[in-house]
Amino acid sequence: MAERVTVTLTLNGERRTFEVPPGRRLLDLLRDDAGLTGSKEGCGAGECGACTVLLDGVPVTSCLVLAASADGHEVVTVEGLLQAGRLHPFQDSLVTRGGVQCGFCTPGIAVTGAAILARGEADPSEQARLLSGNLCRCTGYTKVIEALQDSFAKGGHAKS
Amino acid sequence: MPSRERTRAAGIASDPGPRSTDHGPLGGRHERPDARAKVAGSTRFVADLALPGMLHAALAVSPVPSARLAGLELAAARAVDGVEAVLTAADIPGKNQVGVVFPDQPLLVEDRVRMVGDRFALVAARTPEAAWEAARLVRPLLEELSAVHDPVAALRPGAPPLHEGGNLIRTFKVVRGDVTRERARADVVVEAEYQIGGQEHAYLEPQACLAIPEARERITIITSCQCPFYVQKAVARVLGLPLAAVRVEQAPTGGGFGGKEDYPSEPAACVAVLAFATGKPVRLVLPRELDMQASTKRHTVVVRHRWGADRDGQLCFAEVETVMDAGAYIGLSTVVAERANASSIGPYRVPAVRVATHVAYTNNLFGGAFRGFGAPQVTWAAEATMDKLARRLRMDPLELRRRNVLDDRRRTTSTGQRLPGPVLASECLDRAAALAGWDEFRARSQANSGPVREGMGIGLVLYGCNLHHGGQRLDRSSAVVILQPDGSVVVRVGLTEMGQGNLAAAQTIAAQALGVDPAVVQVWQPDTTTVGDSGPTVASRGAHMSGLAILDAIRRLRTRLDPVAAELLGCRADEVELAGSLASVRGSPERTVPVAQVASEMAARRIEAIATGWHRTRPRRFDPETGIGAPYEFYAIACQIARVKVDSELGLIRVEEVSAAHDVGRVIHRDAMEGQIQGGIVQGMGWAISEELKLDHGRLANPSFTDYTIPTAADAPKVRITVVESEGASGPFGAKGVGEPSLIPTAAAVRNAVCDALGVEIDRLPLTPPTVVAALGDRHPFAWLLSERRVDEHERLATVDRDG
Ligand code: FES
Ligand code: FES
Repeated sequence: MAERVTVTLTLNGERRTFEVPPGRRLLDLLRDDAGLTGSKEGCGAGECGACTVLLDGVPVTSCLVLAASADGHEVVTVEGLLQAGRLHPFQDSLVTRGGVQCGFCTPGIAVTGAAILARGEADPSEQARLLSGNLCRCTGYTKVIEALQDSFAKGGHAKS
Repeated sequence: MPSRERTRAAGIASDPGPRSTDHGPLGGRHERPDARAKVAGSTRFVADLALPGMLHAALAVSPVPSARLAGLELAAARAVDGVEAVLTAADIPGKNQVGVVFPDQPLLVEDRVRMVGDRFALVAARTPEAAWEAARLVRPLLEELSAVHDPVAALRPGAPPLHEGGNLIRTFKVVRGDVTRERARADVVVEAEYQIGGQEHAYLEPQACLAIPEARERITIITSCQCPFYVQKAVARVLGLPLAAVRVEQAPTGGGFGGKEDYPSEPAACVAVLAFATGKPVRLVLPRELDMQASTKRHTVVVRHRWGADRDGQLCFAEVETVMDAGAYIGLSTVVAERANASSIGPYRVPAVRVATHVAYTNNLFGGAFRGFGAPQVTWAAEATMDKLARRLRMDPLELRRRNVLDDRRRTTSTGQRLPGPVLASECLDRAAALAGWDEFRARSQANSGPVREGMGIGLVLYGCNLHHGGQRLDRSSAVVILQPDGSVVVRVGLTEMGQGNLAAAQTIAAQALGVDPAVVQVWQPDTTTVGDSGPTVASRGAHMSGLAILDAIRRLRTRLDPVAAELLGCRADEVELAGSLASVRGSPERTVPVAQVASEMAARRIEAIATGWHRTRPRRFDPETGIGAPYEFYAIACQIARVKVDSELGLIRVEEVSAAHDVGRVIHRDAMEGQIQGGIVQGMGWAISEELKLDHGRLANPSFTDYTIPTAADAPKVRITVVESEGASGPFGAKGVGEPSLIPTAAAVRNAVCDALGVEIDRLPLTPPTVVAALGDRHPFAWLLSERRVDEHERLATVDRDG
């Protein structure tokens, strides 16, 4: 039997324990072990941001994080942004402002955007800089930034 | 005669647009039907699908571009724990062939390697790690052969041939007018050679597919793709099955841009063969590095120009010779070349034209479909030449274009086709110029010195909508509409959603035609068993072709719906109107019955509530030998103006703003349309300035997002959009495609803006910092330093030579 490590973390508000091989990536734990396929793998190398999750509130590319290192920490995925089945204000703005095209980058963008809102960053060029780790090949980013502005204007930063 | 009265323009930057109106959802901003699931992370892409017992596929591929394969050692691969199959060419049950147009490409190498990434063997294992480990352990016995990496050199006598018959695949031409006579008349002549690099699609979702076999009799493929019917044919061929035994379902597709047009047939054929051999479901997700190496690219091309104009700036003649690097297999290269050839002159009136477009085999990356399909490269060249002519004539580039564009009176294109409908080239030029503040900018940009310089440039395109004459046999489309007993509606079309908004467009068109709310219309992704072969989702034809098929289906459905509504309303069937979710009596809008009630009445009476629809384009005349005739059914025009800042010391370019004027016929879904334009501009900008395919003996040297740099949110320019709507286009409600016209002019506009800023000509794309610095030559602020270094290098080389 191959070696296993125990990882206990707070996942989307729930305490969960997993037995995983020591080299397992957080992204695989989320997708394969926890069945949360919302986080996507676009590159596996920390370059595209499709796998972004919040680790203790900070956006990280989960393809570069060892599952074991999340032990004892808090992880929020795109699925965890929803509150009682309702979209997070930024997710809602992405929908109403046309910020979603193919949708593959979208979960990662939703997570990073939620963190930008939580941080209270209102300046669009600063928001664009903070989003620059999340590649999107479809939208040209305009409507994504507009969605951030929109949810900010609606007080999304206070609610998140 | 079409005239300005019949056109109207909507400035989107200022106009929020209706969310939906009394006249229905057309042109509104209602939510895209796919957005909520995508934003919540609940949309299932292929990599999110798994079945009990499913195996994972991996590919053993060639690291060298040209070799003879003497044999394969498979024992080590087969010994990896968890491996269930390692297959080679001999194990393919049907034909070992995946060429989409021409049968020159085996699925698995039999004896000859022609490109890095050619497949030797297929592996299926219980984990992806085991599968890729085994693939790495497949040992090919290779005898390397000489390779050719320059498409121009590939056409010279003595170049190593990739296939029997030499490296020239085909030459396309346009021959019109007397070039010799017109050349004698020209007062200025510009000659140039443009070196235009290719582009990687960089869709965020890598290529992925899943095969589910049923005995050895039939198979389901679920795949990220643009063209399920291409995949169906490819899988049927490698498995030796009839088409009806292959069901291809398009999975939600994380971006395509042409990169999921023909290429997905290859991975699908791989998993199909593995699934048949193992009897188990098999899934393949390409790692990004292999995806970038092996999948198709925008073609690298060389374009030579000789264009002349008279003193007044009237074009006299244009000669264009293009060489396209197809890579090792034809794929779609001839089809791309056909479009490049027909698009070489742009929306200009030129009395004499000579175009030749050659397609060459090399051992480089695999050229294929990419948003614009050959038009972006030739447009880049044409627009660069127009600016050179303007500089030679000391004329405003905008003015030079105004004097030469086609218009309602002079509407014959370079291929001799009379343009149908209003010709909006001047309109687009003027609107883009007004948005960009062209005149004001030129008035104040005279003193453009200092290290950071500003410039403005134009890109203009005439885009042939739908498929070229050569692909006409594929230009048809199918739709199915089902009215449910509760009044909701199922729509299926044969064209795909890959992010561009085809679901939203199909939903809007169906809702508009049935007079119902878009929210009650569900458009499902295509599946080859539910709709007829509709050809590929390419050439900005998705909304157009599926829309017309939907309208046809609804027309047929209404032959059964209207009589029932008429009975409920107490009127004649031909008096029934549908709008606002109600059926009403024409002329008596107070007499209404909900569409949902009509639907339940149809169900109660067991009336057929399903209808199919079909659309095919009208046949056109075209002579492939001379390139004269009607290559396309109709055209769209777009003008973009870029404003840039260039750091002349570092060669760094910042695109500040792009102003875009698009002739779209009619807006179907405003957010989707704007999203296409914004996304196309940013993708075009990336190609223009930063996306460089670095090749090392046919191997991609930068197969990652760190080294192949696509634009980020911080790089995106401000985009201003104005759309010109007009009557008369043949699309659904008069709409024209916008997916490709959005990208094509961008790189040209950026190039012209950079040259305007620096006062030099740059004939090479992308405009990376070294290219910009090299183009500045003696004008570079530190030219003295660079020239000293060149002298040093000469001396050092001379020393090396002497020392031997
Ligand atoms: S998959 Fe993690 S950054 Fe791309
Ligand atoms: S929506 Fe397709 S990559 Fe962002």
